[in-house]
Order: sequence, then C-alpha cells, then structure tokens
Amino acid sequence: MDWRLRNDGWRLVAAPAGRVDEDSWKDFSTQLTGAVREAVAASIPLVVDLSGLEYMTSKGLRALTMAKNEAHGAITISLAAPNEAMRRILTISRYNMLFPVVDHIDAVR
Amino acid sequence: MLVRFWGTRGSLPVALRADAHLAKIAHALFVAGGRRFMDEASAVRFARSKLDFATAGTYGGATPCVEIEGGEEAFVVCDMGSGLREFGLSALRRCAEGHPRVYHFFLSHLHWDHIMGFPYFRPAYESGARIVIHSGHPDAEQALRRQQAEGAFPVPFDALKARIEFVTHPTGERFTAAGLRVMLIRQASTHGSFGYRFEQPGRAVVYSTDAEHSPEEMDKESEFEAFFDRADLVICDTMYSLGDNAGTLREDTGHSSNVVAVDLCHSAGAQRLALFHHEPRYSDLDIQRMHAETLHYEELVRGDRPRLEVICAYDGLEVEI
Repeated sequence: MDWRLRNDGWRLVAAPAGRVDEDSWKDFSTQLTGAVREAVAASIPLVVDLSGLEYMTSKGLRALTMAKNEAHGAITISLAAPNEAMRRILTISRYNMLFPVVDHIDAVR
Repeated sequence: MLVRFWGTRGSLPVALRADAHLAKIAHALFVAGGRRFMDEASAVRFARSKLDFATAGTYGGATPCVEIEGGEEAFVVCDMGSGLREFGLSALRRCAEGHPRVYHFFLSHLHWDHIMGFPYFRPAYESGARIVIHSGHPDAEQALRRQQAEGAFPVPFDALKARIEFVTHPTGERFTAAGLRVMLIRQASTHGSFGYRFEQPGRAVVYSTDAEHSPEEMDKESEFEAFFDRADLVICDTMYSLGDNAGTLREDTGHSSNVVAVDLCHSAGAQRLALFHHEPRYSDLDIQRMHAETLHYEELVRGDRPRLEVICAYDGLEVEI
C-alpha cells in the first residue's frame, strides 16, 4: 500500500493506494491515525481519497473505526471516490452508514 | 464427518408468523405464473429448482445446536440451544435402532440461548444415558442447574435420570472425546466464550460462535487464523454487519460479522464457511440477502486465493465433510 497526505489548508487529504489487507492494514492504520491527529489539531476535515485503492478488507474497515474513535467527533472523516469494488464493500459492511461517502474529494466542503 | 444443524438462530428462538407464510405462498404462486402440476412431487421439484430459498424454505428459528456425526460410539453436539429438543427426539429414534446412548456436548458459553434446550432434552430423563458436558467454563454445571431451579422450571436438575458429567478444559491443549481430537480457543464475549476445533485424520471442523473480533484486538487474530487453519468447515457467528457492530449498542455484545469471518477463513486457507447465529429480527429475505452479500464480498477480496465456499446455515442443513 502507498500513502500520500496533502494539507490544503482547509482540509487534509489522505490518499492510500493499492490494497489494504492483512499485510498492509497496520501501516494504513498508523498513517490514518496520524492524519486524524493532524486534522484534529488544525480543526479541518479529513478526506480519505479512495480513488487509488483497489479494495480494503475488514481490517482496513476496522482501522477506519479506530480513526473515527480517535477523532472523538472533533472533525468529519469522509470517504471519497471509491471504485466499484470499494463502494460495494462499504455497502456490504454498512460502513456507508458510518462515514459520509462522496463521489469526488471536491464534494467535501 | 457429517455436520447437522439443529438450531442456527442467535439470541432468541423465533417462528414465522402467518403473514410471512402467506407472503412466501403468494410469491411462489406469482413465480409459477399459472403453471399446472401433475402431482405434488412435480410441484416440489418446481419449488426446489425455480424458487429462491427464502421463498421455498426458511432458515429456521431454533437457537444454536450443531451435531457432528463421526465420533466413535457417541453423539457429538455443540451447544444446547432450543434446537436441542429436535436433536433429542432424533437421537432417541437412532438409539432405538442401536446407537449407543452416550452424548458428548461442547458448550461455547453459558448464555441462555446456548443452554435453553437442555431442560427439554428427552435423553436427559432416561436412566442408562450418559451425558458428558465439555466446557471451558468451570461454572457450566452451575448455569445448567440455575435454569432448572425452582421458579425457573418445574423439573429440578437432580431429577434428571441420565448420568451427567462435567469436564472443564484448558485452551490450547488437544484432548480426545468420542474419538475426535478436540481443542479450545478463548473468544471475546461477555463472560467469555470458547471455540472448538474437531479433528479426524485429514478432516477438521471449527465451531466458533459468539466471538467478537474488535478493532483493538486485530493484532491477536493470527491466533484465530491458526485455529481455523485449513479447516474443511468453519462455523462462524455472523450475526451483525461490521458497521452494525461499530460504535453502537451492539458493540461489545460478543458477536462478529460476515466480512470478518470471510477474512479469517481466507487467511487460514479454510475450505468452507457456514454463516451462523442469525439475528432474530432478520426475515428469511434478510438472511438470504446477507448470504448473497457475503458471497460478493468473498469474491471482491479473494485476490489470488482459491475460492472460499460460503454457505448459509439453516435449521435442518446437513454438510458432508
């Protein structure tokens, strides 16, 4: 899994790429937790750009849960631009009920 | 080995209401589209081949009870939910044909839905029957006595005529019962629960219900992957969706999800997963939808692995191992 983080000043965009699975979930979780802390410190929303992600297994999803817990409701965490597989995974797991899911990162204002 | 599901519902027994029956009949008639059948057998063939399971059948409403056929000279049964009553009647018929009256039970935990069938287990009232109750909980006997205490049930535990023995096992050590090699694993649930791995040469079945795999404990899941290792069948609690479990009242209630079960089985190289411990408020259509979603998830995250067969347990299902 690759990871990029960009601070636009008014939002933080995290962009994992590849797969989040049993081999990469720890790295994903560590990076995501760091991003949450940075976003909370700056009081700006965090957008997770999923456009480069092939898929995510339950460990990646549960890393999202931990990130949400880490934020304690102080910021919004949105999931943007999932491919069709990720969109189905979010629906099957009902994570589309836990996080705002938008078609493009610019949909987060 | 043959695995026979006598109860697959979680938490509370449920039954189909009249309106649910009527909806199934109406949908079947609609699908038949005016077709005429020569006899009832041809109507059954039509129902089996053309109707979905939620229309032609039902997942059932008895709470957990799973028989594993293949032990030597004894019945092997996981949990004593309300499905145990039906198993008891079946066992009596088989004993009448010569089967030894020896029963080995393996308790996942002591919650009501997993022990409530025992007061209705007819063989327990028979002198000459021998019942061995294996558990990881040292208070298993206390739990069974408590549900037959005065005020809870009319027949006290001490009135049961069978010879009843309780055996408490540690985790991680293999032992032999009814000719099967057995091992326990501790699972996260209120008051704790235990999963069981049953082995015969070249065969393995895992029973893992009421096990919560929380985000904070993901590091420890390698223990479950080892416990499920290349099992022919893994029976898993898949009561809620993963999202249902996260940050809601259902969190920390000791249950798992379909997607975690698939991932554990993938990592373990298991052959088959049986979805189990269905949520009592789910209709047959809800469970069928959950099964279809699980099949889709397995395909989405399979990667280069061989296909994991995902079946959905129902009361009456038999699986050859």
